[in-house]
Amino acid sequence: MATFARSWWNTLQAVWADKGVLLLLVIAPVLYGFFYPWPYMQQAVTRVPVAVVDLDHSSLSRQITRFASANPRLDVRWVGGDLHAAQQALWAGEIEGFAVLPQDLKRHVVRGQSAVVTVEGDGAYALLNKAVLYGFAEAVGTVSAGVEIKKLQAAGQGARQAAASRNPVGTQMLPLFNPTEGYGSYVVPAVALLILQQTLLMGAAMLVGTWVEVGQHRASPAQWLGRIAALASVGAMAGLFYFGWEFTVQDFPRGGNPLGALVLLAVYMPAVACLGCLLGVWFADRERSMQVLLLTSLPMAFVSGFSWPSEALPWPLQGLRWLIPSTSASRRRCGSTRWAHHWAMWRVR
Amino acid sequence: MPLAPVDSAQGAINVVAFSARREVALLRSRPWDLAMITWVPALACLLLWWIFSAGLPTRLPIGLVDDDHSALSRQLTRFLDATPGLAVAVRYANAAEAERGLRSAEVYAVVRIPGDFTRTVKQGRAAQVTLLHNAQLGTHSGLIQRDVRTVVGTLSAGIEMAARNKRGEPAQTVRVSMEPVRTGMVTLFNASLDYEQFLAAALLPALLHILAMTAGAWSVGRELRDRTVAQWLGAHPTFRQVLGAVAGKLWWSWLGLGLVGTAALVGITWGRGWHPAGSVAWTCLALWVFLALSIAMGALAASATRSLRTALSATGFITAPAFAFGGVGFPILAMPWGAQLWARALPFTHYIRVQMEQLQMGAPLAVSLATPLWMLLASALLLLASTLGLRAAADRPATWGKR
Repeated sequence: MATFARSWWNTLQAVWADKGVLLLLVIAPVLYGFFYPWPYMQQAVTRVPVAVVDLDHSSLSRQITRFASANPRLDVRWVGGDLHAAQQALWAGEIEGFAVLPQDLKRHVVRGQSAVVTVEGDGAYALLNKAVLYGFAEAVGTVSAGVEIKKLQAAGQGARQAAASRNPVGTQMLPLFNPTEGYGSYVVPAVALLILQQTLLMGAAMLVGTWVEVGQHRASPAQWLGRIAALASVGAMAGLFYFGWEFTVQDFPRGGNPLGALVLLAVYMPAVACLGCLLGVWFADRERSMQVLLLTSLPMAFVSGFSWPSEALPWPLQGLRWLIPSTSASRRRCGSTRWAHHWAMWRVR
Repeated sequence: MPLAPVDSAQGAINVVAFSARREVALLRSRPWDLAMITWVPALACLLLWWIFSAGLPTRLPIGLVDDDHSALSRQLTRFLDATPGLAVAVRYANAAEAERGLRSAEVYAVVRIPGDFTRTVKQGRAAQVTLLHNAQLGTHSGLIQRDVRTVVGTLSAGIEMAARNKRGEPAQTVRVSMEPVRTGMVTLFNASLDYEQFLAAALLPALLHILAMTAGAWSVGRELRDRTVAQWLGAHPTFRQVLGAVAGKLWWSWLGLGLVGTAALVGITWGRGWHPAGSVAWTCLALWVFLALSIAMGALAASATRSLRTALSATGFITAPAFAFGGVGFPILAMPWGAQLWARALPFTHYIRVQMEQLQMGAPLAVSLATPLWMLLASALLLLASTLGLRAAADRPATWGKR
């Protein structure tokens, strides 16, 4: 026990004395904690620049344009009659999509024939595409529903009955665990676990690699346990910073269960530290840990199952991915404080 | 090893050839270093492609709470299960069971059909189906929401059509008057929203970007760390000697990563039967220039800091989050302005725009002409800068060997 405690303390001192390891274990998690969520601060994609190509010039087409302009998802940059110009603007990145209101739109609607508004979004960028398609669909849908309800009323139905009979079954969506459905709220908590893993892996492997270079790595099991415990404690401090302060300040969904988060860190950090030490012994070179591990974060993010459904992974990967600690960790951290509230609402209804 | 001063074209070629030959000998004796520019990148690219090879996730497990037990609710269940994107995996008896299922991530969403579902519809009032989805998993819940909405929409339209037919309206007019103005959704460029094309194609260059800057930092930084600068550059080298030595050394990383990149690009497009409307050749050229720029960035980081470790830290800081700032997952115009500035300063952002234009959007070549040329200029400037840094370092052996 004394050996363990002494080794723990010596390792902490070694971390403190080694500028490179300190940078990876302490500074990097704090820095990335601010840096990584930075692009996603605003969370939602609103006011996407679009164009309307109006070939009809009727009161109906102007009404659709007005509704599109009022839609928070869209920012109608220009309304014109030139399809080619819209296509060019899309390629040049000036707009992200456009709607084509065809000639004779109003005439068809008045005659009771069907009319189609074509919306062209840019599938190369999924979130922008979604905003463009939904934004225009909402605008056109609202106008369309207005026309239909008017017709139903003309046929003798009450306004409310008309509204119900044009949409007998609706869907109500209740997002759980991430009530605002923000992109940051979805990416950041899971990536935070990956940052914790990668910085601790590289830091531990760097420290151990340096030891191997001078033959200091040979030690008794108790000493090794002390070393792993020390590295895990430093990692756990970074983890507490993330789960506590960082997510609170930036208001990303955090576990409604602080004890659970502590248990998670108590298991996750030693596992990662252990793996880092093994890699360090294998690399036997101080800088090799960074050279080899930098590239692994991208594939690891996508096998962990938070940004890409694990059901869609090839079957060998479905098994192999469990060898990486971040896979299990991101599986265990669903849950949100507001989630209970949603559940209560559902039960009452 | 002393070098002849470069005063002729022949001399310049000799310097480059000497440095290139020396690098080959080094790579042969260092299997890790050779691996990091040959089979490791190839394997990593293959792994990334493999992850997304399914293209579009199918049969995502959802749960069902059916409080109605009617013909209509069973019809809805059948519709849900028949959708390729969904699989009704578990039927829960009550809300508490469903809660456990969602929490343990046994299912990604739960559809709840209320007890008075059929009665409400029969009475001509609007009924609600509730979808609870795990929004922490953005991709999953987005796909599930879309599919459930479509299924419920189909059921709803069927009910409305039947009701109107009963009232004596002919089917044809019903179809038109139900939706007087329809929206024809045309998703240009990646019509099926295939993730193999969308994500894998964008992640491959991001991965190679990390590898290329690492390679640049490693090959230059290692000479400084191992105090072998004099062996590589000669004592008191001239500017042109250093430039030639840098070119001869970095050439191998560029060749290795460029060939892997070309194979990845051709593999994911033509190899998978995807024939983009734009120019694959131009994208490939842009990729080579982008990799040269990444390697030059690494070389500059190493020669400016004279520390392999610091250069690798800089590599991690610049390249690892480059994908997040690149605008592929989350659009640049929705970022705060500071993040937008950083995003636009990163070369990955500009390369991936060219790739998107050519591979996804089928843009004319004129749109994508300028970017690779600018990147070529930037690579040249960075190489010159790292040459200056190395020449200064060569004269101060005391600053070598930083760990």
